[in-house]
Amino acid sequence: MTNFLLLNIADIGYKSTVGLKLTTQVIGFRRLFKMVWQMEQNHRELIAHLSRRAGFGATSSELDFYASLSYEDAVEEFLSSKVANSIPDDLIFRRHVDLHTMQGHNAAYWAYRLISTDAPLKEKIALFWHGIFATAELKLNNLGSLNNQVEMFSRCGLGKFDDLLEELSMDPAMLVWLDNHDNHKDSINENYGREILELFSMGVGNYTEEDIKECAKAFTGWTVKNGEYMSTMGFKDSIWPYGRIQWHYEFREEDHDDGEKTFLGEKGRFDGRDIIEIIAKQDATARFISRHIYNYFVADEVPVPQWSETDPRDPKAIDFIAESYHKNNHSIKAILRDVFNSDFFKNSAFLRVKSPVELVIGTLRKTGEYQTPVGGETGIFTVMEESGFMGQKLLDPPSVEGWHTGEEWISSGSLVERVNFVTSHLGDDTHPGVKEMISKLNSITDKDSDPNSFVEACIDALGLNKIGEDTRIELVNVAREARENRNGEAKAGKIPQEVIIHMFKLIGSCKEYQLC
Amino acid sequence: MSDIKYLKTIGFNSNQPIGRGFNYPYDIDFSSDGRIFLINRMGGLNSRGVRIQVFTYEEEWLEEFGTGPGTENENFVTPVCLSFDGQNRVFITDEYLNERKIFDSKGTFLERWGQNDSPRSFQGPAGIGHSSDDSVFVVEQYKGCVTKLSPSGEFLSSWGREGAKPGEFNLPWGLTLDKDDNVFVADWRNDRIQKFSCDGDFIDSYGISGTKPGEFHRPSSVAVDSKGMIYVADWGNERVQILTPDGEFHQLLRGEATLSNWAEEWLEVNPDEYDLRKESELLVENLPEHLQTPYHTSSQTEPIFWGPVSVKIDTDDKLFVTEHSRHRIQVYSRS
Repeated sequence: MTNFLLLNIADIGYKSTVGLKLTTQVIGFRRLFKMVWQMEQNHRELIAHLSRRAGFGATSSELDFYASLSYEDAVEEFLSSKVANSIPDDLIFRRHVDLHTMQGHNAAYWAYRLISTDAPLKEKIALFWHGIFATAELKLNNLGSLNNQVEMFSRCGLGKFDDLLEELSMDPAMLVWLDNHDNHKDSINENYGREILELFSMGVGNYTEEDIKECAKAFTGWTVKNGEYMSTMGFKDSIWPYGRIQWHYEFREEDHDDGEKTFLGEKGRFDGRDIIEIIAKQDATARFISRHIYNYFVADEVPVPQWSETDPRDPKAIDFIAESYHKNNHSIKAILRDVFNSDFFKNSAFLRVKSPVELVIGTLRKTGEYQTPVGGETGIFTVMEESGFMGQKLLDPPSVEGWHTGEEWISSGSLVERVNFVTSHLGDDTHPGVKEMISKLNSITDKDSDPNSFVEACIDALGLNKIGEDTRIELVNVAREARENRNGEAKAGKIPQEVIIHMFKLIGSCKEYQLC
Repeated sequence: MSDIKYLKTIGFNSNQPIGRGFNYPYDIDFSSDGRIFLINRMGGLNSRGVRIQVFTYEEEWLEEFGTGPGTENENFVTPVCLSFDGQNRVFITDEYLNERKIFDSKGTFLERWGQNDSPRSFQGPAGIGHSSDDSVFVVEQYKGCVTKLSPSGEFLSSWGREGAKPGEFNLPWGLTLDKDDNVFVADWRNDRIQKFSCDGDFIDSYGISGTKPGEFHRPSSVAVDSKGMIYVADWGNERVQILTPDGEFHQLLRGEATLSNWAEEWLEVNPDEYDLRKESELLVENLPEHLQTPYHTSSQTEPIFWGPVSVKIDTDDKLFVTEHSRHRIQVYSRS
């Protein structure tokens, strides 16, 4: 019996048998079975939580896959550096020629990747850095260069923080966004020098005005090719004569100040790379990045401008992440491994409000929409506009501070937008993902299923896996009422499709779906 | 066979829904009197200016028609290719409406074939061409076939299916016929050009996937001149390749655009940009490593091809390369 049970435990994916030395002499079969079932549910809930944070939430079948792994292996799967598969560029460009040039003002190209990638953390981390190193298309008028920045976040975002900062400092969109193309040896522009310290690494209160100037001097000569012409075209939103030209980095040695500088107490003939090395080793940087990681992956914090006067929500967690930053030589991937495996992370389900992009992309991944680009169809553009109506227009953050997150995503207007979006997409049974969820539900439930099981199955189908008791009671009541009102409609043994769709829409409207 | 040389650039970018200037030009063809008809495709949420523009080689802008988008007789949603027949009628495919519309050379609507609700609708019509007897050949990209119709639109035959074997297609795009009525198809996702008789008999296949000379990445269009030389818009590699009549690699074009008349006129009244432009180096040689792909190189380097979507040969054997992402046409000639 013991062997039989252990085999079953292995089948459902527990690579760790957690010291099960149970025998039928000690514990009854039924009780043991219930324990195993409960462990499976707990494991599935935890995996669902991980997938909402390290990705955009899992579909039911993705959840089946991740739940077949141990939790630690599921974390590694998300952190894996495998080559990401998503809708190929050639198909996107053939169906939407305007995305080939990125000449419009819409994040549809990135949306295709977000919706279809099989390596969601690579896009999630790009979204993370996009919110911190916030660069807006509105000023640049060069969406192609901004998409190249996003691609850089995806490529470098899990690497060493120093390397990421260096890439950022050479990123053409950032250089124009913060005017470093106007930062000259004989006439410095301190905009980038200030923001790299204030918003991108250390936070207010950890450096002086003199440090800002010295920092700016170190980045003189870091510019974009044909910078004057390119920035003028951007400023004038000029597409003439032959469309937009994307930008690339250029170092102008003759315009670089290579004199001695004093920066954060150190003295030398620093250039930008030296400055980054000094910044990255500061404990203030470790704590600042830790708080960002906590805010994005663990639980909502107050907006960044309040950090200098408001203690972290969980100071011990920040200590832990900052220590991980130092211990792991500033590797973001290693830090995230520590975070995802920590108890404070595992106990943080539903402590964040989904950002509009997380909500929209997560929903579209479930409904299976836009997996194949169709020429003439503009739905992908429209959904990204809808994310903007909810308060997060991708590639167009409101300022260099990025978006204020957490509860600030929710207003009476945006909540209506959010709920309407979710229910209209989850409630459309022409979408392939919705069809698949209905089919799966039909295979595991029938008209005689008790309302509790039916609601559980619907929640699982939507990858939620945990829901508040008050919400559950309401949903079960609705399911019971629907069953009683059917009056023999479901003679074929299936639950009527409209009942399933109705339940999807209700779950999509509930608080837990808006959180992650 | 001598190499061909760059002659000039036609057009410039304009996102206006009327007047001269291109926004994602997709294909061109020539009326019997030498006027150039161009599909202005537009894109995304800005599709008001989808239309056909008419102008001359000397860049005299003449007129436009079919301004959309729409499903009416005169309108388009996503036009793909166009071709004149021997009666000076221009046939235009629309891959969203799944039909072809026919206009006379003055832009007057004549008829439409294969609407979505008709018994013989087309599945993503793309490349289109005509044989010497005015039979019509259309690529149906989603079905992976070429369909042959009579000049009045009756179905004659069809060949091909989805696949990668000879005679099969994977999302085919452009089509042309040579003077002997052989049919050439840009078999887009199979990275090759296939040649057939006008009855659909497979004759030959040119190219494999790759970036070397003679290799293709997503060829979108093919043209053949009076000497049988084959011109391929190697779209994914951002270049044009010229093959001998036997399909051997002959010459590679990367583009070398100069200012068109329209571009020059625009810059003259915007001196701030013109002055900065003169000081700039737009032909870039040394890009950062991660940008050294055909796509990124073209997006950063204005004179070279970016999105060379269509190749067409006029009656003087001049080559016209339409670039959807630089919104212009580069012209080449042997003489």
